[in-house]
Amino acid sequence: MQLPIYYPLGLAALLFGLGLWGALTRTNAVRILMFIEIMLNGVNLNLVTFSRYYWQSTPEMAAKAPILTLFIMTVAAAEASVGLAIILAMVKNRGVIDVDKVNLLKG
Amino acid sequence: MTTDLLMSGQFWTFIILAIVTLVSTYRMVSVSLITHAALFMALSFTAVAGIFLMLQAEFVAAIQVLVYAGAITTMVIFAIMLSGIGDIKSERTAKVKAWKSNPFVMVVGAIFAVFMLYLYSSANLPPEAAGQQFTTVAAIGSELFTTYMIPFEVASILLLIAMVGAIILTAKEAES
Repeated sequence: MQLPIYYPLGLAALLFGLGLWGALTRTNAVRILMFIEIMLNGVNLNLVTFSRYYWQSTPEMAAKAPILTLFIMTVAAAEASVGLAIILAMVKNRGVIDVDKVNLLKG
Repeated sequence: MTTDLLMSGQFWTFIILAIVTLVSTYRMVSVSLITHAALFMALSFTAVAGIFLMLQAEFVAAIQVLVYAGAITTMVIFAIMLSGIGDIKSERTAKVKAWKSNPFVMVVGAIFAVFMLYLYSSANLPPEAAGQQFTTVAAIGSELFTTYMIPFEVASILLLIAMVGAIILTAKEAES
């Protein structure tokens, strides 16, 4: 492959950094969950890049390469469904979606 | 960087997809309406699926479009709609510039990205391994059902538990 490995790795790092920035700055709970998905996507891009460049020497290795990425996607889907359900329960019970206003446990 | 790289279509395809990804993710942070942020998230996921295709991970790209750009985006939009239109409108007026007023939080993501880029630039990674082999969905499936049988089953149990938990958290009280 002509493209040096640093380009996709750099893109993955920037994607993770943007997701981290968004997750730390915004206070809307749904938006924070969206940025967590973006961060997981950056991690997936990193894994796919490394498997593309170093883990495709034999057909057996090439078949094993995307397995971890698929498991990360499974966990991301489970996390998103439960997280959104928790946010909906929070909105239903307390009427707020802002994570700054959910301060019942604050001393 | 050689002129050979600059002339290749692969390079420019990557650059265009990377710009689409980064700009749509940045707009996710900066746009005030949360519905627009969800749509920008779908665009970012689709562009990353294109990069997966470029990296010859076709199955991962297909799952990316199905799960991320399809299912998770739909679920986020459902959650926005179910959580009440009042919150969507109030976010636009109240404290929308809060993320701009605090420079410290912006620095955290930037520090992480710059640190990773610095690590990569000094890593001196070897060139790609010789003899590229390409896989099929059938090969991935037979790996999942033989070598990775137990993690696969654990993942299916995790999805089942997540589904039951989501239903219990959001369903109304059952009438007795």
